[in-house]
Amino acid sequence: MPVAVRLTDVSKQFDSFKAVDRVSLAIEQGTIYGLLGPNGAGKTTTIRMILKIILPDTGTVEVLGGAPGCVDKDRIGYLPEERGLYRKMKVIDLLTFLGEVKSMTRRRSRQAAGEWLDRVKLSEVASKKVEELSKGMQQKVQFVATVMHEPDLLILDEPFTGLDPVNVNVLQDIILEFNRKGHTIVFSTHIMDQVERLCREICLIDRGRKLLEGKLSDIKKSYGHNTVTIRFHGDGAFLKTLPEVVSVSDHGNELFLRLKDGADPGRVLSAAASRLAVQKFEIAEPSIHDIFVEQVSTG
Amino acid sequence: MKAAHIIRREYAESAKKKSFIISTILAPILLVVIYAIPIATVYFVPPEQVSVAVLDRTGLLASPFVSSLSDTIGNGDRQYKVMIADPKDRDPAAYKTMLIESIKNNALDVLIEIPEDVFDKGGVNYISKDYFNERVMDDVKGKLDSAVIARRLAREGMDYDRVSALTERIHFDEKKITKSGVMEDQEVVGQFVLVTVFVMILYMTLLSWGISVQRSIIEEKSSRVIEVMLSSVEPRDLFIGKIIGIGSLGLTQIAIWGVIVFAVGFSSSFVFAEVSRYVSVSFADVLYFVLFFILGFLLYSSLFTIIGAVCSTEQDAQQLQSVVVFPMVIPIMLTFFVIQNPNSTLAVVLSLIPLFTPMLMLARVVISEPSAWQIILAIALLIASIYGVILFSARVFRVGVLMYGKRPSLREIIRWYRYA
Repeated sequence: MPVAVRLTDVSKQFDSFKAVDRVSLAIEQGTIYGLLGPNGAGKTTTIRMILKIILPDTGTVEVLGGAPGCVDKDRIGYLPEERGLYRKMKVIDLLTFLGEVKSMTRRRSRQAAGEWLDRVKLSEVASKKVEELSKGMQQKVQFVATVMHEPDLLILDEPFTGLDPVNVNVLQDIILEFNRKGHTIVFSTHIMDQVERLCREICLIDRGRKLLEGKLSDIKKSYGHNTVTIRFHGDGAFLKTLPEVVSVSDHGNELFLRLKDGADPGRVLSAAASRLAVQKFEIAEPSIHDIFVEQVSTG
Repeated sequence: MKAAHIIRREYAESAKKKSFIISTILAPILLVVIYAIPIATVYFVPPEQVSVAVLDRTGLLASPFVSSLSDTIGNGDRQYKVMIADPKDRDPAAYKTMLIESIKNNALDVLIEIPEDVFDKGGVNYISKDYFNERVMDDVKGKLDSAVIARRLAREGMDYDRVSALTERIHFDEKKITKSGVMEDQEVVGQFVLVTVFVMILYMTLLSWGISVQRSIIEEKSSRVIEVMLSSVEPRDLFIGKIIGIGSLGLTQIAIWGVIVFAVGFSSSFVFAEVSRYVSVSFADVLYFVLFFILGFLLYSSLFTIIGAVCSTEQDAQQLQSVVVFPMVIPIMLTFFVIQNPNSTLAVVLSLIPLFTPMLMLARVVISEPSAWQIILAIALLIASIYGVILFSARVFRVGVLMYGKRPSLREIIRWYRYA
C-alpha cells in the first residue's frame, strides 16, 4: 500500500515546550487512521505540520507523494477542532469562496456547494448569513467546506462534537463513503467509541511522544484476551483482592477486570458467583478506552 | 494565484459593511458641513441690531462718533441703536450704575464710556455682556478711533482727510508662480488650507484603513477561521490578500470622494470660480496623493499586520497600536512647519524619513516644487522600507496568527521571526 502521510523523526518545540518529540508515523493510503492522545499531547501540532501550517524544527513530512516539505493543500480537507467561519458571509458565498481557495473554479465550487448543502439538508439556509445559523448547522457547513473539493486526504479533528445522533450518522456515512472510494481519513478524537467503530489503524501520542501505532486489531490482540466484563448485584469490592485480578475499572453498570497473564477466567467467575448475583460475565478484548487510559497513565 | 480570491473576498465583504458606506458618504458631507456652516453664518445670517449707549465725558466726541454709526443692516434697520447718555443733573456715578444695570437686564447691549483724558491717554471703557462679539467691537473701535484722531488733528490745526490720505498704508497684491510657471493672482492662504486638508485626509484614511487590516486579522484569529484558511492557502497569500483587498477598498473610497468633489466643483460655475480663486489642484497633486496613499498604506498596514498577528483581542491591540499611530502623528505636527518652509534643510530631511514621507513629501510637492532627486530618493527609501517591513511582518504573521493568549514581548516576536 502506498503511504498517504509519512512523518520521519519530526520534532517541534515552542520555547521550552516540546510539542512533538521525534515522532515517526506512516498513514497508508485508503485507511481510516485514528490519531489519539490526551489534551495537549501534540495532536493538533502534528496535524498542523502535516498541513504545513507550521514547519517542523527537525524531521521530514511527506504528504500524498509530494517531496518533503511540499504539500498540495488543494488535495487535503481539514476540519480543525476549533471551528471557525466568516460569520457575516452568506453560507453559499462562503462555501464558494472556500472552494475557490482549494483551486476549484467559481462555477464548479458554487455548484458543489449547492449539492453538498442539499445532501446535509441545509439547502434552505444557503442564502442566510452564517451567524444566523444554529451551532449544529454551522458545524455541518464547516464539514461541507472540508469535503466539497473531494480531497484525497481528509483530516478531521473531533468531527462529531456538538452534533445530535442523526447528524452524526449523516456525517459518518459521508466519511465512510469517502473511504470506500479510496480516500484516506485521519481522525483525531477523544471519543474512543468512534475509534472502535471507525478506525482501522491508530497512533497514540502523549506529551509529544508516540506511544504505540498499528492496526487496531493487532494492538488489541497484543493486549490478549485477559479482560473480563462483569455485571452483578451486590458488593463487588472483594473482586479487587482476587489473586487473578490485576486491576478493576468501574464503568458504572459493569466492571472491567484485567486479569494476570495465563489466569483462568473460570475461577474468577466461580468466585464472583459464590458471593454475588452475576447477571453477565464476558471474556472480552481490551477496549481501546482501557488501552488508552493504561498507556497514558503509565507512559 | 490564491491571493486573488482573498483580495476579492476582503474587498467585497468590507464594501458591504455599513461602516464603509457610512464613512464614505458621511465623511464628505461632514467635511462640507464643518466648513460651510461658519461661512454660511457670516454670509447669510443678518447681524442683529445692537443698542449702544455713549457716555461722553469730553462733551466733544458724542455727535461726530454717533453720526458715523449710521450703517444699516439687511432689512433697512440701523445696525446700531445709539443713545447719547447724558447724566444731566443726576449723579454721574449713579447714572453709570443704572446703565450697567440695564445691560444686565438686556435692555442695553453696549455701554461706551469715553473719559475726559481720552485725547492724551487713549483709554475708552467698553462694557457689554458678549465676550466674543469682536466684529461689533472692532467696528465701533475703528469709528471712535477716527473721531478721536480727527479731534486731535483739529486741535493741532490739521485736516483729518488730508492726513489720512497721506498716511494710507501699502498692501501686497499676492501673486504666486504656480508649478506650471504661470503667475497668478492667488490667495496663498487657500493653498495652505488645501495642503493641510490633503495631509489630514491622507492621515485619516491611512489610519482607518491600516487599522481595518489589523482588525480583520484579529477577527479571523478570534473566530478561528484563520486555521481553515491556512489549511488552504499559504500565510503569504492571506497576508497579501488582506492588505491588497482592504487597500483597494480604501482607494475606492478616495475615488468616490474625488468624484464627489469633482461633481460639486463643476456643478456650478460660481462654486468653481470661488474655489479656484483660493486653491489650485493640479492633476499631478492628485496623482501624488494616490501614490502616497498606496505607498503609505503598504508601509503602515504591514506594521498594523504585526499588531494584529501578535494580539488575540481588540483590547490588546488598542494598547499596542499607539506604537504605529505615534509615528503617523509626528508628521501631522510637523506639517505646518513644512508648509511654511517647504525647502528648508530640515523639511527635506524630515520628508526623506520613510515613516514621514507619505505625509510630509505630499505636503512639499503640493505647496512647492521639491527637486526631482528628493522626490525620487524619498520614494525609493519608502519602497525599500516597505519591502523590509513586509518581509518581517509576513514572517511574524505566519507564526503569530496561530498563537493565542498572552501578548508576546518584543523579544518573543523577534524569536518568532526566526522560527518562520
